[in-house]
Amino acid sequence: MINYIVSGLERSGTSMMMQILYKGGMPVAFDYSRPPNDHNPKGYYELEGGKIINRLMDGTFPMEKYREKFIKITAYGLKFLPKGKYKIIYMIRNIDEIMDSMEKMSGPINREEEKPLFEKLNRYAIQLMKKRDDIDYIIVNYNKVIKNPRREIERVNEFLGGKLDVESAVKAVDPKLYRNVREVKK
Amino acid sequence: MTEKEGKGKYTTVSIPTPLAEKIKRRIEGTGFNSISSYVTYVLRELLASMEEEEEEVFSKEDEEKIKERLRALGYLD
Repeated sequence: MINYIVSGLERSGTSMMMQILYKGGMPVAFDYSRPPNDHNPKGYYELEGGKIINRLMDGTFPMEKYREKFIKITAYGLKFLPKGKYKIIYMIRNIDEIMDSMEKMSGPINREEEKPLFEKLNRYAIQLMKKRDDIDYIIVNYNKVIKNPRREIERVNEFLGGKLDVESAVKAVDPKLYRNVREVKK
Repeated sequence: MTEKEGKGKYTTVSIPTPLAEKIKRRIEGTGFNSISSYVTYVLRELLASMEEEEEEVFSKEDEEKIKERLRALGYLD
């Protein structure tokens, strides 16, 4: 039994990926404790208002309850994943866009100080996934999803063994809703 | 360095002849049966130690700053 996770730094497109999976017919677990707002008009697609990191830290998150379903655990939470069997879709995004978006949502950011820290957290999370033999992962670039949703969603579908309804999933990507997009790297 | 080893996939890397000669002398009487096997061994060791060095480690202070931002974003209590 596998636990499926969408991860990445906060504001890296994790909610968008959850929505893609949901529309594409994958089992996705979320609640409405954090309702949609201006920062995520289509919803956060997360559990317990996004605060499951606290429960992972103290070991009370019931991972077994979410087997065979996708849940969202942002990058820092991966540090506290118990042993198991995981498939993780890890979102990356232009770090300046992430900072722009974090700033809009949570107030002024000292970029000189915080940008390198979040870049480091990203590298840390990717190293962790690489090292753990109970984790299989794919890295998906948010900016590439916006630019070419079908191609990226097909990659995700391949990672999931062809379980995704790509046609429906592609429709979840609405570039108009995704602001703060800088240059898309090929 | 054009020798082929085993049945795996290999590619050719050029190194200066004097260096190859030096390696040839160095591996005489050792368990290495070719320049390639020695260079492969050395590079593997080097890369492994570099990867170890590059391992991301957070200081308590760094981690606290990350947590502060996560709290502000609503991802931590």
